[in-house]
Amino acid sequence: MSAQLTLQAPIALPPEQVSSYLDQLWQQDLEGPAGAATFTLVVWEGSWLEQQLVRCGRVDGPITGLVSPQLLTAARDCVGDCNLPLSTAPLDPKLAWRLGEWQGNHQAEDLRGQFVSGAISAYMPRRLLTLAPTLDASRPLETLVAAYCPLPEDGSTGSACGDVVVLRGGMDAQQQGLALIQPLIRADLPCWVWWNSSLDEAPEMLEKLAPPPRRLVVDTSLGSPRRCLEILVQRIDAGQAINDLNWLRLRSWRESLAMVFDPPARRDALVHVVQLDIDVEGHHPVKGLLLAAWIADRLGWHLVGSYEVPGDGTGPGIGAEFERADGQTVQFRLMPVPVGVPKTHPGALVGLRLICQRSDGRPLCVILCSESGGCMRLESGGMASMELAEDVVPLPNESEEMELARLLSGGHDSTNPLLAAAAPLAAKLLPS
Amino acid sequence: MASVLTNPLRVGLRQERVIPPQCLVIFGASGDLTHRKLVPALFELYRQRRLPSEFAVVGCARRPWSDEEFRSRMAAAMASVISEHPTAWQRFASSLFYEPADLSDPATIVQLGQRLESIDRQCATRGNRTFYLSVSPAFYGSGCRALAAAGLLADADRSRVVIEKPFGRDYGSAQELNRVVQTCAKENQIFRIDHYLGKETVQNILVLRFANTIFEPIWNRNYISNVQITAAETVGVEERAGYYETSGALRDMVQNHLTQLLALTAMEAPGRFDPESMRNEKAKLLQAARLANEEEPWKCCVRGQYSSGGSRISPTAGYRQEPGVNPNSTTETYVAMKLFINNWRWQGVPFYLRTGKRLPKRVSEVVLTFREAPVHLFDAAGGSPTVNQLILRIQPDEGAEFRFEVKAPGSGMRSRPVDMAFSYDDSFGEPSDEGYVRLLADAMLSDPTLYTRSDEVEAAWRLYTPLLELIEDSPWQLPVQPYETGTWGPAAADSLLADDGLVWRRP
Repeated sequence: MSAQLTLQAPIALPPEQVSSYLDQLWQQDLEGPAGAATFTLVVWEGSWLEQQLVRCGRVDGPITGLVSPQLLTAARDCVGDCNLPLSTAPLDPKLAWRLGEWQGNHQAEDLRGQFVSGAISAYMPRRLLTLAPTLDASRPLETLVAAYCPLPEDGSTGSACGDVVVLRGGMDAQQQGLALIQPLIRADLPCWVWWNSSLDEAPEMLEKLAPPPRRLVVDTSLGSPRRCLEILVQRIDAGQAINDLNWLRLRSWRESLAMVFDPPARRDALVHVVQLDIDVEGHHPVKGLLLAAWIADRLGWHLVGSYEVPGDGTGPGIGAEFERADGQTVQFRLMPVPVGVPKTHPGALVGLRLICQRSDGRPLCVILCSESGGCMRLESGGMASMELAEDVVPLPNESEEMELARLLSGGHDSTNPLLAAAAPLAAKLLPS
Repeated sequence: MASVLTNPLRVGLRQERVIPPQCLVIFGASGDLTHRKLVPALFELYRQRRLPSEFAVVGCARRPWSDEEFRSRMAAAMASVISEHPTAWQRFASSLFYEPADLSDPATIVQLGQRLESIDRQCATRGNRTFYLSVSPAFYGSGCRALAAAGLLADADRSRVVIEKPFGRDYGSAQELNRVVQTCAKENQIFRIDHYLGKETVQNILVLRFANTIFEPIWNRNYISNVQITAAETVGVEERAGYYETSGALRDMVQNHLTQLLALTAMEAPGRFDPESMRNEKAKLLQAARLANEEEPWKCCVRGQYSSGGSRISPTAGYRQEPGVNPNSTTETYVAMKLFINNWRWQGVPFYLRTGKRLPKRVSEVVLTFREAPVHLFDAAGGSPTVNQLILRIQPDEGAEFRFEVKAPGSGMRSRPVDMAFSYDDSFGEPSDEGYVRLLADAMLSDPTLYTRSDEVEAAWRLYTPLLELIEDSPWQLPVQPYETGTWGPAAADSLLADDGLVWRRP
């Protein structure tokens, strides 16, 4: 699905004129087409990696805020040049910070907020508000406004117009822009706030942008694991609708594991799990912990305790002990493993192994592997006597925007109950 | 199948679309369908948490019931389901309302409109309304007119109307009915329901064909020799004699259910899975279909009527002895026919359709029989090699089966057929939803993908027009032939295939 540009070239306006200009736009210029009665989407579009790669001359502009294949290739090339471990994912915020130490002053046009993903435009947001912080922290606030009428790719005529507002400038300018944003968020429509950046950055901005009942979308693969899980838990506890793209990317793993136990003949094994092992790329455990927590929650395990376990040269792992409903113990290990070509996001899953010690039959060993990574570590040792169920988990291969579009299309105004149950448990699994 | 532990890892994985705030208005609420299918389907949606909290069902019929009486009647009819979920029913039942209304009395429809506005305020349903016409087909046109006249279909985005089958009695009446309802509402507001399309196994025909690469290259005249579509029932006419006498198997089953199976089995791949692409392909297919002999339709069709049967201990009545049936009735309870599809994919491939009541087995299936291997290298255990068959089992034992030859163990090189089977029960172990659950949810979501468009309905009627005209004008040329209860229909149905050197598959 291709990205779509705004209907007209955005107009730069003094911030104080934005609101009245939009009123005029709808009352006069867009009199004909109906405004979409859908939702407002507010995006914090850091795009630090893209900005740094452009500044260093590693990619050409314009800066769009979209993750393109060219951007990923350039980022992968830079991992080695920055002396980061090869397991570093291209979207790992560490890479952007490290690039910040490089020399360079290349410039490119900044189209963030005006370059709308086709996946999102298909749902016809009524208003797209993009906050586009710049590398130059002292850059003053620029406000850009444009009307926006998505052109349906199927050639149908059923589309309604919206508008886009972009706030571009340094961090101080963004703080200043917050006052402008609030009145632009229509109270009569749902509002989604997509924090499309590391959760470590600008915590005050996040607080102010996304109070309840706005629906928050985050990505817990971006940011320190503890901070990421804390935000999830806080918002869930507060009753706010929070969505996690990292959780959504677990969909194919959850589906593949559920599929193993769909045949009724295998169901009984689920109450006899004795061991769960998960391997992840690099050192970001959140995705693996969310998967483990989902399994534990669904199977009714109680967490006894978690601890750090020594790794074999790739850093420490996480161990935990659960108690099943029948009082038996389940051992859990999450280990970081080195990979040559990591996937796009930090902490992608490499493999999962679940061992079920059935009382009246052969033990069952379920092994799920990621397509590219393989999972030799999980396949080794002592399984000859077990019934083996192995599968390769397909890569979803969907962009952030497509994941987000899926959320928007669902229209859910509350946190997914599975995530709401798994996140607090995942936070507890992280050793203190 | 035996009850099994639910798969706890499966819970919540499906990302269902959220039905917007909604008021579902059922006309014919005192009828059989409401308490047997519609309200149970809505209760199931409620239990699956797929209904919004802003939801109401308004039952409408001529009887002067109150809300409470409607609730208690529904509760009585669904007692066994409710006994398993009493608390959920209590909450759900508070969303049930009743308003006496008569589609032929405009004043009551205006009054209904006022009640709906009040329910909108009470339940915050925001004017989103789905009108379900579960009434006599004679009221479809006038019902739509009454709704339109009361302004209840004026908002094309927030109101829609679901119309039960049969949609017309023939090509002309279907055209006329389409014309009438399209003057009352836009096509995207009209949902012509065929509950067969709500079945998982029927939808699976699409997935099997278009989500796999192995079938589509051989899904054509080069590899398939014939296709058989069967929908057999063991029951007789039961309490539906009044309706059935005016419809018969051709109108009751073939024009809708079997024709939908035909369309899904034979259509081209749509460019995308959206309502218009899907329905375009089905309509194109039906426009290309024709009776095998349109000039002499009696040569490609057999009509039958069940006669008495059963055992001495439990005899069963013949159709003409059923209560409410004319003792000299010539209504068919069985139809078998041969069709062709005039397009590149299917030219020359016969499609055989059959349906009947009081047959030995309740079964619906689509059987694709492949061409014989060009050279027989091996001795076949059965004398000659069995041709490959792909069997799509719609109901019961939902699943699919592929029959092919393998080497029989032993020193020689003899071949014998084996079956490779997929069963929904063995693979998923969960009962699938009733078709109405899916279809009601889709209507409330304004998604018509699994509903029939006006041109599809007309094409389906046009396909059978030569037969209907023949039955009307010179029924002696296509008489109903008696068949004994518990048999697979009249002998002439076997001859229909025997003339082509084929036999019906015994399900």
